[in-house]
Amino acid sequence: MQRRYFVRVLVAAGLAPRFLFGQQQAASPAPPPPAPVPWTLGLNPATPLPHTQVVETIAEADLKLFSAEQMATLTRLSELLVPAIGSKPSAITAGTPAFLDFLISESPAERRHLYTAGLDWLNAESRRKFNKAFAETDGPQADALVKPWMRAWMTDHPPTEPHADFLNIAHADIRVATVNSKAWNDSYGTNREQDPSGLGLYWSPIDPDIYAEDAHRIHVRPSPRNPAPKSSHTTPSYPR
Amino acid sequence: MTTKEPVDVLIIGSGHAGGMAAKILTEKGISCLMLNAGPVADVAKHAQKKAAFELPFRGFKPPGRLEHVFQSSGYNANVWVDEQEVPYTFDPAHPYNWVRVRLFGGRSLFWSRQSFRLSDYEFKAKSHDGFGEDWPIDHAELAPFYSRVEGIFRVSGAMDGPPQMPDGNFILDDAPWSESMQRFSAAGKPLGVTVCKQRSAQGRDGLASSVNLLIPDAEKTGKLTSLSNAVVRQLTVDKNTGLLDGCHFVDRISRREMHVKARVVVLAAGTLESTRLLLNSGLANSSGLVGRYLMDQIYGAGITCSVPEARNGKATAKLMGGGAIVPRFRNITSKHDKFLRGYAFNVTSRMGGLAPRDFAAYGTELQQKLDEYNGSSFYMSIMGEVLGRYENHVRINKDVTDAWGIPVLHVETRYTDNEYNMAKDAIEVGSEMAHAAGFEVLSHNAVPNPPGYSIHEVGTCRMGNDPKRSVINRWNQSHDHKNLYIVDGAAFTSAGWQNPTMTILSLSMRASEHLADEMAKRTV
Repeated sequence: MQRRYFVRVLVAAGLAPRFLFGQQQAASPAPPPPAPVPWTLGLNPATPLPHTQVVETIAEADLKLFSAEQMATLTRLSELLVPAIGSKPSAITAGTPAFLDFLISESPAERRHLYTAGLDWLNAESRRKFNKAFAETDGPQADALVKPWMRAWMTDHPPTEPHADFLNIAHADIRVATVNSKAWNDSYGTNREQDPSGLGLYWSPIDPDIYAEDAHRIHVRPSPRNPAPKSSHTTPSYPR
Repeated sequence: MTTKEPVDVLIIGSGHAGGMAAKILTEKGISCLMLNAGPVADVAKHAQKKAAFELPFRGFKPPGRLEHVFQSSGYNANVWVDEQEVPYTFDPAHPYNWVRVRLFGGRSLFWSRQSFRLSDYEFKAKSHDGFGEDWPIDHAELAPFYSRVEGIFRVSGAMDGPPQMPDGNFILDDAPWSESMQRFSAAGKPLGVTVCKQRSAQGRDGLASSVNLLIPDAEKTGKLTSLSNAVVRQLTVDKNTGLLDGCHFVDRISRREMHVKARVVVLAAGTLESTRLLLNSGLANSSGLVGRYLMDQIYGAGITCSVPEARNGKATAKLMGGGAIVPRFRNITSKHDKFLRGYAFNVTSRMGGLAPRDFAAYGTELQQKLDEYNGSSFYMSIMGEVLGRYENHVRINKDVTDAWGIPVLHVETRYTDNEYNMAKDAIEVGSEMAHAAGFEVLSHNAVPNPPGYSIHEVGTCRMGNDPKRSVINRWNQSHDHKNLYIVDGAAFTSAGWQNPTMTILSLSMRASEHLADEMAKRTV
């Protein structure tokens, strides 16, 4: 009992000034009581930042676009086009096929079709010529299917002939995705300066439009309208 | 209803054209209000060094975004105008690449800095070959302004230009040619092709933009007020006088609708945005030519070569390196039977690596090629004049609006045999020169990129003496509204093969001085 009484006295003593202060405020407005310490006060350049990892090195995702067979074909193609050379990792080590499944799944329909149709064609060619899936071909067999279609080409102008378009665009994508991967970066050890892909200047969104996610305010992207007959000239047209 | 006092001059746009107008007008004591549709970019705040794997898409640009900005990547995706936020439309058979930046300073933040004057082969093109219209001015009239602009932008170059590429007020480039460039130059002589030193704006501190070379001078006067994120919806007119009296704009972030009054309007929003604003406002178009004669330059055709002596680790600074410009050489002293006007070559000799796409190989074989050819690259790419045609135009598409409800542009333009034949000729001539110089041609392409790619869109409010055949007069002043000046690339009467920046800057300088004089005389 004595202890309870003591506690009540302590609480009352603590509340009394606040109660009185509140009455004074009501009678005569005055500055509010001190707030708790602002939570951002401790965030300053001296604040240690948590270390995080690149998600692809930790987790994996389900296939979004490719079928299992298409993915197996893409994996074999990636292995063929960008193998491990010296200290540099292969496209497989770099997780490139899974990354491309994600990247292409987010891309416009024309590009998705280029990949899915291209992978299906490559697999069908393999079955026709070697009676086996492309994923199961050995080196000479894969070369026989792919090499005749490789071309030299200039920026923004990949080959437009069927099959060559897919294989050369896929080659470029597989290579870029591999060279830009964490695994490739790690192959330089601690000396990032040696990395030809190096560090680039990344621009964050600059005062982004706060309504940009509002579908009602965003209309169609640059969009073809009123289809007309094809030009007699060949304007470069390929998925990107 | 506004109660604020009108500003003297309202400048819409903050790139090279608007920045120059602000500098000239404020230095003459005239108060200016500059509106820019986007925010101020602060590299220290908005950019940081990152490895490609740290980016959302491993350095690829965000899929589905910026499809028409071939120049974009995962690193710079956020500096371009979002094609969903500010759409435009076109015919699927004739795509258009509209490459836009709305950051304060506009595209002056990112331009290539190639700095050329137009010659009288462009200013008086019709007199030379009978096509199109002559400009109402010539090189001699614009030359003093070119010189001043070249001084401000610190243009380097050599006094080696033929008449079709007038020399200027240069920081002289007297560095010797590398041996590969000497061989290329010698290969051009039998063909009547002149190889000249590149002409490039050095700027200050690594930047040659309105934000560091023009706007600070205007701000020093205390006469410049600037607003960012001000998306201009419409120019307004005093119904009693027919003169412009201000504009309506919307705050990009808050969506608050605002209005300002002005005595004079200087339009410098970039060729197609200025034209879009005029069309949406229904102004300055008694000729019916606002939006007509859209031009640019053909890009994308070119040749990639290798200098054999530089392979296998033998590249040296004596053999490789340097840039050159081959000014237009077609239809100067003779007449080509397949096309009018002409093209230039940008030429680059580099000790860096070649690209994987330069070889029809993969895997270990490709790596061996890349190693062998490293340091031996030699590139040619063309800049070809696109003819000004009435049918190549932009108009308002009322069915589509941007994020602020402003109707968008429909772009209807296409290249013709003239441009395609020009590109083919360039590849033939370039290949011949490469072989004569002893280079190996690794790849070539004669198909131009879609119109717009060069980011050199000009025309649509062309300059002329006849109000029925042009939108503005020789002073960049609207024929219809004497207090409206259009000082960006929209003013061009012909495109030329040259990067238009020096001409835009010089025209803006000249027009602004004229405007200041007219305001002093109270005739505007």
